[in-house]
Amino acid sequence: MGKVVGIDLGTTNSLVAYVEDGRPVVIRDESGDALVPSVVSIGEDGTIFVGREAQRRLLTTPSSSVYSVKRFMGRGIEDVREEAGWLPFRVSGEPGGVVRIGVADREFTPPEISAFVLRELKHRAEEHFRKQGEFDFEVDRAVITVPAYFNDAQRTATRDAGRLAGLEVLRIINEPTAASLAYGLDKRNRGTIAVYDLGGGTFDISILKVEDGVFQVLSTNGDTHLGGDDIDRLLVEAVLADIAGPNEQHATTVEVIRRAVIQAKWDLSDVEETEIRIDPSPAARAGYRTRITRAEFERVIRPLVDRTLEPCRQALADAGLEPKDIDEAVLVGGSTRIPLVRRLVQELFGRTPHSELNPDEVVALGAAIQADILVSGRREMLLLDVTPLSLGIETMGGVVSKIILRNSTIPASGREMFTTGVDNQTGVDIHVLQGERELAADCRSLAHLHLKGIPPMVAGLPRIEVRFQIDANGILSVSARELRTGIEQAIEVKPSYGLTDQEVERMLIESFEHAEADFEARLLIDARNEAESVIQATEKVLRRSETDGVASELLEPGERERIDAAVAELKAVMAGTDRSVIQEKTHALNHATQHLAEVTMNRTVREALAGRNVKDV
Amino acid sequence: MLECRNCGAGAPVDEHFCPQCSRILALGRHGDYFSFLGLPRKLVVDGNELERRFRDLSRKFHPDYFYNASPTERLASLERSSYLNDAFRTLRNPVSRIEHLLAIEGLPSAKSEEGTAKVPPSLLEEVFALNEELDDIRELRESGTDPDALRARLERARAPIEAKREEHERQLQELSERWDSQEHAPAPEKRATLDTLRERLLERNYINNLLASIERELTAVAHSTSSGRSGHAHG
Repeated sequence: MGKVVGIDLGTTNSLVAYVEDGRPVVIRDESGDALVPSVVSIGEDGTIFVGREAQRRLLTTPSSSVYSVKRFMGRGIEDVREEAGWLPFRVSGEPGGVVRIGVADREFTPPEISAFVLRELKHRAEEHFRKQGEFDFEVDRAVITVPAYFNDAQRTATRDAGRLAGLEVLRIINEPTAASLAYGLDKRNRGTIAVYDLGGGTFDISILKVEDGVFQVLSTNGDTHLGGDDIDRLLVEAVLADIAGPNEQHATTVEVIRRAVIQAKWDLSDVEETEIRIDPSPAARAGYRTRITRAEFERVIRPLVDRTLEPCRQALADAGLEPKDIDEAVLVGGSTRIPLVRRLVQELFGRTPHSELNPDEVVALGAAIQADILVSGRREMLLLDVTPLSLGIETMGGVVSKIILRNSTIPASGREMFTTGVDNQTGVDIHVLQGERELAADCRSLAHLHLKGIPPMVAGLPRIEVRFQIDANGILSVSARELRTGIEQAIEVKPSYGLTDQEVERMLIESFEHAEADFEARLLIDARNEAESVIQATEKVLRRSETDGVASELLEPGERERIDAAVAELKAVMAGTDRSVIQEKTHALNHATQHLAEVTMNRTVREALAGRNVKDV
Repeated sequence: MLECRNCGAGAPVDEHFCPQCSRILALGRHGDYFSFLGLPRKLVVDGNELERRFRDLSRKFHPDYFYNASPTERLASLERSSYLNDAFRTLRNPVSRIEHLLAIEGLPSAKSEEGTAKVPPSLLEEVFALNEELDDIRELRESGTDPDALRARLERARAPIEAKREEHERQLQELSERWDSQEHAPAPEKRATLDTLRERLLERNYINNLLASIERELTAVAHSTSSGRSGHAHG
């Protein structure tokens, strides 16, 4: 059996964690960075870049790069048309179907894009285990988190992404609940907790009761389209309005502005005033600088932050609680670093919210704990979550009849009886929806079911019991039985905003076909990174020797020229896609610097020993 | 009786695990939430005790702990957990608890009569007065009468209904205690208590509908206030 991890698949950043000796730890790269930007970029030759590399490419080739894809998971084109206009990639799709994302000359569904991010995390974890000397370092199973307010289609899309990435998805769990698990480890073991989770693209509030290690969610609410992205967009709009007419909105310009306002947003969490600064570049000709105070920033974002309050009140009401009943409030998600957000949460619950654990990492830690519970059989902790939205079916006149109410503890099940309307009718159609509104048109369509093979009988005689089962992932399955004959009915399911099993299968096959190309891409990136680090190390040593005034002592005649030439040659081939050439030139540079490395090393050792001699003797 | 799908042993319907091989049992046709949770069929329930049982059983059935089990056991865990969650939800709330008792004691559901226009005889007087008052207020609101005055009238109209509701809560509480004390009473006496409980429940639902219609009118009045104010601001 391979390894098991917990994954926080975020709108802006994603990360992976696992449990080591009973404690959850986040997996970092060599530079100590845990966050993998949820950005995917496609090179001209089809190479797929993920994370930091893809983020860099957003500036150079924005139309080949995709970010914030989580906003499109399980959604239709009619839901996202407005925000799609803001993004550099093409968004299309049939009305009432899955969104398609066009990057370069290829087309992807959101689960496929998310799968690239998941594969990167899987790879990162496998590298980590391999370096630790683990014999069996393959990561084959994961718990993946989703916003608590995600509906069935969004959860299913996330699970599909996991499958496409070659992971068995042990469980989909809710982000705020995962965070509470991470906090629950060394905190008081009973009480009522409010988890306020404002991330890159989504907002959740969950109210939990913790007792005897059971984390029972009482209620949850939220907005799957509210987060840091929206704050950034408001600021970008303000800057655009300030610098130019609407015809200036070139994708690269928008991306440059977006980076600048994000930096300013971060700054304003620590200081009272900062600068939105865009250096002159081809994308932003003259550049741009303006001062912004925290008060101004807060005035701009206040309406967005206020939108989180109503879900909080609703969640409290659904739990039958008052703000004073909350023992602890916990902050999760990068956007809770904003002082205004902290202040509002503090006012709402009348207590200082917890933020001891890194709000970017706490969800992944919780996912790792849940993964460990599932595979190890540890029983000291148990998570009981709820379904965020009521499940119902469309009845006469387009009215929704609710079968499982929101905030029901999952797993949950409900039954509904159906019969036939005409003699010898053998099929029945059922429209399944999710939402709180009375009319089907105002709820979210999940799927159309078709019950087949009903034994021919007089109209109204068949008694077909349809059973709706929401599992511990919050995902629905349906079964049906004709009670007079006891015959289990076949059901055809056509998901409204999801992929059919056949589509997922086909994508899996395609991804295997691409696996070789992807593996090549991975090797190419590794080669580039290796080249980059050799160049950096060389330049550092050369600089050091110059500032220390020992260059002439260390370098032989002509050596400096040989090194400079090797660096230049490597730089010339680095952007290319021929891995063997990059490796060859890297090797050549290594060779050219061998003597320098040796003498530098000797000198350092000599100095260290000399130092010790003086001191110790 | 249940039959263990693993070893074939028989088990009483309220058992969750096979007495012989201790595997989780598939959920049979179970209809009694009280016995499922190991509680007597009584209406006064200690909330903490109910929660403790819910947590304990969750720890036994939850699908988290059957991840590596056979498909049969996984299904049993899913079904038992779903049923447990439903049972806890139903018994936690005093009204749905009474409704469940009535159902398992074989009385027709109080829900089926909900929404029918039939006014319970004991409420005729209040319903008549309230409907007249609401009609008046609606008319006055539409003709632009001072919202504060209307709000005061609505509050006055609510008071007697609110009093009725409290009276009913008290009666439901009393009847619940009576039911609990009748464990060994003759069947007709028990049946009489259940019939009265059902009647009170129907009335209570009706009273709630009345209070809801007062709430709706209050909201309408409040809206007419705010639109009136914004009108001033613009003028």
